[in-house]
Amino acid sequence: MRPGSPVLRLAPPALLLALLALLLAAADLFAGDYAQRIVIGIGINIILVVSLNLSSGFTGVFSLGHTGFMAIGAYAASVCTLPVALKAVNLPSLPGWLSHSALPFLPATLIGGALAMCVAFVVGISLMRLKGAYVSVATLGFLVIVQVILVNWDQVTRGARTFAGVPPYSSIWNVWIWAALSVYLVWRIGRSPFGRDMKAARDDEIAARSLGVSVIRSRLLAFCFSAFLTGVAGSLWAHFITSFSPKSFFFVQAFTVITMLVIGGLGSVSGSVIGVFIITVLSEVLRNAERGLDVGSVHIPPIYGASQVLMAILFVLIIVFKPAGLMGGREIELGSFIRRIVPRDWKKFRRP
Amino acid sequence: MRTRLALVLVVVASLLAVGCGSKGGGNTIKIGMIYNMTGSQASLDAPSANGAKLAAKEVNTAGGVLGKKIELAAFDGKSDAATIANSATQLTQTDKVVAMLGFSDSDMVMAAAPTAAKAGIVFVTSGATSPKLPDQVPDYLYLACFGDNVQAAAGAEYAFNTMKAKTVYLLIDKGMEYTLLLGKYFKDRFTELGGKVVLEDNYQTGDKDYSAQITKLRGLKAAPDMLYIAAGPDDVGTIVKQFRDAGVKKPIMGGDGYDTPLLVQVAGAGAEGVYFTTHSLMDASLGTDAVKAFIAAYQAEYKTPPENAFAGLGYDTVKLLVDAIKRAGSADPKAIREALNDTKDLPGVTGAITFQPGSRIPQKGVTVILVKDGKFTLAQEVVPQKVPAP
Repeated sequence: MRPGSPVLRLAPPALLLALLALLLAAADLFAGDYAQRIVIGIGINIILVVSLNLSSGFTGVFSLGHTGFMAIGAYAASVCTLPVALKAVNLPSLPGWLSHSALPFLPATLIGGALAMCVAFVVGISLMRLKGAYVSVATLGFLVIVQVILVNWDQVTRGARTFAGVPPYSSIWNVWIWAALSVYLVWRIGRSPFGRDMKAARDDEIAARSLGVSVIRSRLLAFCFSAFLTGVAGSLWAHFITSFSPKSFFFVQAFTVITMLVIGGLGSVSGSVIGVFIITVLSEVLRNAERGLDVGSVHIPPIYGASQVLMAILFVLIIVFKPAGLMGGREIELGSFIRRIVPRDWKKFRRP
Repeated sequence: MRTRLALVLVVVASLLAVGCGSKGGGNTIKIGMIYNMTGSQASLDAPSANGAKLAAKEVNTAGGVLGKKIELAAFDGKSDAATIANSATQLTQTDKVVAMLGFSDSDMVMAAAPTAAKAGIVFVTSGATSPKLPDQVPDYLYLACFGDNVQAAAGAEYAFNTMKAKTVYLLIDKGMEYTLLLGKYFKDRFTELGGKVVLEDNYQTGDKDYSAQITKLRGLKAAPDMLYIAAGPDDVGTIVKQFRDAGVKKPIMGGDGYDTPLLVQVAGAGAEGVYFTTHSLMDASLGTDAVKAFIAAYQAEYKTPPENAFAGLGYDTVKLLVDAIKRAGSADPKAIREALNDTKDLPGVTGAITFQPGSRIPQKGVTVILVKDGKFTLAQEVVPQKVPAP
């Protein structure tokens, strides 16, 4: 076998997947509900951040409006899966064909993602022509438009009222299958010709154009695919939280995802995953600590809000000392890591 | 890079170790409490939490219940659904609480109550007034406050019978379940009595300019006898001020969203002649005896008078649960639920609580307040004759 043979090339990802599956199985079997919730939350956030990274990190089109796609995915999928009996009570004026049936989780999630992608295509045709701060403001406008539509489209969304009774379909397994798939796909896109087009257009638009790269097309591709994954994550989130309202998908949610992305490092898939892990785990730990602590014999009373303050200080520190995020746009290279452990001429040891 | 990473890991590990250190609790009864101490809901939830803590302290000073002390296992919900759901899971699994309380908003309740129900323990919301809530979480979700249908009906009856209003202008915030329901229930009861809604208009939470709505109102041939404006606490001041500044002199009425110092602070003299329905009049000289005692105790504990009626609701909710535990004779969640159903004439700061068979919304009186000389004054205590179905 040569060093570049398929077996050696596929070994690292296969090993990683196996390890992940093992960890998830352990969490599924042995962890309590609380730990499982955190694991599911991390999985959903990974999809959100990685997909935002595809659009914002790879192409440099910094979108503040992705939460709008999450809302579209969440509402579309939940309208599909809501049990028929509940539809009669909560959404009495739903169009006929929707009110008589409830779809299973997977098709509903795919519909949510596809709808988000369609909207992204229509919006993207015009928005992807903008750049820099202009596109950020325009996508923010998109988020506000989605919000207004959700609040006013009573027949389908219940308006501003709580959309409750969504079946709790999201599990460790379906969430993490989507998460692994998202990471893999975005990683592959980053290394495909499409991904190189995106990055070229990001780094020097004029140079990329002169080499025949269609800047708008590559941006639109990233925007649409990223909207699809974000819509999927929205569906998973909806079937995880099970009750929400339009204000669940507004600035607070938008900035949570953007923070994870920026902390991990724009343009780095592994950075996104690391960003999600660090922020989720740290905020959970601090949230538990702010309830009041007993350190030795000293009792510290609860200080609510301290966790947000500490997190904010941490973010400032990270941005000061590592302005490009923890990974700084680089990736953790699995292949080279394995190669470092397994000597290049390992065959020699077997054939004396 | 590597040393820094190691440093981060060490910090995380030590925080984890500290965070997991559980507090010992042998001779206590644990009640879970989640309020949003930070975020958009804090102005209602923080006073509620203070009221609840005060009640627990009073119970413990008086010897506790069933010979045990009450411990409130508290979390900050941070006005975030995912955080609230996590906290509820921790309370049921790690803290093993026997009942849960919290929140002044139905979205927030719906993030926590299903988890409590799954674990077989009751969730009592102190201030979320949607009468549709209990049906969303069968058997386990209770309200300690009246439903919006009750306060809207009380407002409509007061307007029609006492103020002799026959025509009304209705303005509703479309961005909140609370205001949508409140406006709808008011309209139902007011038209049922024989009154007429001459113009119905709406706005969106957080709007700053109401000139379009005011122009429409002034375009009416005959001015309505009064205005009913279903608004949330952050908007009431601005709305009342702009309507008054535009020369609208007719009485304005609203729900318990008006029960905030912001009403008089923002609207100033414009707040004169504003009526609203709420849980109780939090006034040290004009309130009932229970209110006066509560205000004195709150003042002594927190060095500030209760911010609004939600403080009283938090206080009453803990007392309600303690009463149920006492009558159940045990801290078993199932026994608590059964005792809670039988609650009858339990006195409280915000009125006596009785649960009718099959209902998990208490029958309570409604306080109608009139703003006079920049102060909240009691207009009337009302028990509505008829209440619209939820």
